[in-house]
Amino acid sequence: MKVIGVYNIKGGVGKTAAAVNLAYLSAIAGYRTLLWDLDPQAAATYYFRVKARVRGGGKALLRGDQGLDASIKGTDFERLDLLPAEFSLRNMDLLLEEQKGPTKRLLRLLRPQAPTYDHCLLDCPPSISLVSENVFRAADLLLVPLIPTILSARTLDQLLDFLEGHPRHRGLKVRPFFSMVDRRRRLHRELMERLPERYPCFLSAAIPYSSEVERMGIHRMPLIAYAPSNPAAEAYQALWAQISAALAERDGSPPDQSRVLAP
Amino acid sequence: MSDPKLELQCPPGSGVAEILTLLAARWRLAEEPARALSRAFYDTFDWALFADGGALERRAGPQDPSAGTELVWSPLERPSHAQPEALVQSAPAELGFAAELEDGPVRSRILGVAGIRRLLPVMGVEGRSRTLRALDDDDKTLWRATLDELRFQDPVSGRTGELAARVRILPLRGYDEERDALLDQLTFELGLSPAQDPALLEALRAAGRQPCDYSSKIDFRLAPRDRADAVTKTILRALLETIERNRAGAQANLDSEFLHDLRVAVRRTRSALTQIRSVLPEPVVSHYKERFAWVQQVTGPVRDLDVYLLDFGDYQASLPPPLRPLLEPMRSFILAHYDEEQRRLAGILDGTELKELLTQWRAFLEAPVPDSPEATDAARSIKSVADVRIWRMAKRVRREGRAITPESPAADLHELRKSCKKLRYLMEFFQSLYPEDEVRPLIRLLKELLDNLGSFQDLAVQAANLRELAGRMRAEGRGDTDTLLAMGALVGQVLERQQRARDNFGVVFAGFLDGDNQDRLRRLFHARQDQGPDQDPDRECDPQRAQVAAAPSGAGD
Repeated sequence: MKVIGVYNIKGGVGKTAAAVNLAYLSAIAGYRTLLWDLDPQAAATYYFRVKARVRGGGKALLRGDQGLDASIKGTDFERLDLLPAEFSLRNMDLLLEEQKGPTKRLLRLLRPQAPTYDHCLLDCPPSISLVSENVFRAADLLLVPLIPTILSARTLDQLLDFLEGHPRHRGLKVRPFFSMVDRRRRLHRELMERLPERYPCFLSAAIPYSSEVERMGIHRMPLIAYAPSNPAAEAYQALWAQISAALAERDGSPPDQSRVLAP
Repeated sequence: MSDPKLELQCPPGSGVAEILTLLAARWRLAEEPARALSRAFYDTFDWALFADGGALERRAGPQDPSAGTELVWSPLERPSHAQPEALVQSAPAELGFAAELEDGPVRSRILGVAGIRRLLPVMGVEGRSRTLRALDDDDKTLWRATLDELRFQDPVSGRTGELAARVRILPLRGYDEERDALLDQLTFELGLSPAQDPALLEALRAAGRQPCDYSSKIDFRLAPRDRADAVTKTILRALLETIERNRAGAQANLDSEFLHDLRVAVRRTRSALTQIRSVLPEPVVSHYKERFAWVQQVTGPVRDLDVYLLDFGDYQASLPPPLRPLLEPMRSFILAHYDEEQRRLAGILDGTELKELLTQWRAFLEAPVPDSPEATDAARSIKSVADVRIWRMAKRVRREGRAITPESPAADLHELRKSCKKLRYLMEFFQSLYPEDEVRPLIRLLKELLDNLGSFQDLAVQAANLRELAGRMRAEGRGDTDTLLAMGALVGQVLERQQRARDNFGVVFAGFLDGDNQDRLRRLFHARQDQGPDQDPDRECDPQRAQVAAAPSGAGD
């Protein structure tokens, strides 16, 4: 199972929209996919029409009383399951601190899911915290959606500095990509040229700003499921292709093409 | 994961409309447009896939309409931990041989089972499938279920008919309570029960079809005291059945096994006529021996070409890689002649001469046996006749086999092989008259011996045929020097293998001569026999006999 974190220190950068659409693309590509909504705002959970609660509450979930199994919900899409957000997880940092090995908690909780899923996407809350440290430990790949603005660029610096300063995160593969791009703005266009020069790890696929993405809250499903030819939807597909390639770089294993059905 | 508990069957008299009404009273339902459902089940003529515990189908319908037609292999037994779930790959426009399928999980699963037999339609299930979803107040799906209205269409008899409607629950992870509530409702309010059988079995039963109703293997249940002539007719009737059942497939050349099975049944018929002696009227025996020899002869050329084609891969593989492509003109040459020979064969198989032969033969076999038969052994018990015939042939095999030396001509080995085959056929015809655990090992032993002699003999024939083929190719200007040289190398290979088979003969035959096996032969076939000279003409010239008689024997005589 490959774990893909979708993360930014800053909020409002199109992180949940990316996590939801990428998880959906992973599932329709044939991968058994789990999306874990770690953000107490529960936006991803809402998009999939699932109730924002986990069995026994957030504390029991982190303690691993019943494992993650008891709380995972099937979405309306084949091969795509969701671990819903839980309001009590707004205090996740505090809850994590109570645990033994507080930075490895997520990794430990995810480990038993490895035989069930090919991909696990983590929709992470913003800020650098104990939660994000857990994500850095658990993830094979960290996707960082960035709006091409000066402040956003600074958050990428902060993140990379942080990872550099913590040797245990140095192996983490970080892949920023541009999100909510408005090509009519000169600043966006300029930063989109300059930043990838400075950070060669940038993925070239960029998600344009689209009001249709905001309408995911009305449709309550991934953009690609209701507007597959929308430019943002097409950009997510291009992004997914690059992510697949980045994942394959590591072990080179192609997806299993043989499908298994009920008789 | 599919759960067998989640596939349910409607009781007779209730249908999909009733289910929909009751479900709608309890759940907020969304219905997807109904889709036509079409499942065509395939198997080989001898039901190899079924016997192997699987069902193969071409499925167009609700599973995944975007994927088009799928080829699905599923286990006949309900999936358990030990058993695989269904395997799926995309289906070709037309189904032929497993080897022709593109690579995929279904091909891998069935290739070794179906082998060289064509996949033929055995049953069709058609119908309409609706998919329902139950929604909560956020329009989140709680479960999905498919409701299938089904009919069978028997491609063999052309019959059609209704099948019980089926409901399959497709649960969603994390919604166990809703799934259980639905299951309870379907079971207790609507009287649905778990579907007992896979759709194929249910359709076969509804159509009055029996799976595994063809096998080329011999398996007669005989009563030891029955009259020899009546039992012999029973055996010959079963062989006639095999000939007739394979006739159409051989005529259409569906696969090479139809002709092969037909020819084996003809050979067994001739063997039975010769070996079960003095039981049927002599004029009848000699007439049909001759007529079936004709069938054997006219079906030979296509079988020879079949064998070339079947062996071609092995032939190629036995040559060093650079020579392999040079053999291709040989395949082209065979294929160029194949159609013509097959057309001729089809004419014979469909012709009046053969049809009349089989009709007359059936009339004779179905006529009651006369009260006072002319053949001397006709009214004896079949067991006593079988004992004598098998024992005599066993002694012949022993005598001929012991006379084989490294210097013996190939003709002697050929004679021994013919005797072994006769002995094997006799034992197979009459095996039900003897304890199974005693007679089976002897048949196995003979098969082993025949394999050895067969490979020796077949390789000799192959070498001769290859030389003849090379000659014909040259005469028709179809073989260039390279190809003929490659064929020469092939003949060399074949002759080498023949020598190895010959070297091995001694070891294999020693197994037959082994004291335990000889004891068993005596115990089974010679125990209660009168050992007068007319019953045992080999007595004087059989040095082995004293030794065998002296060996400890459980039955004694």
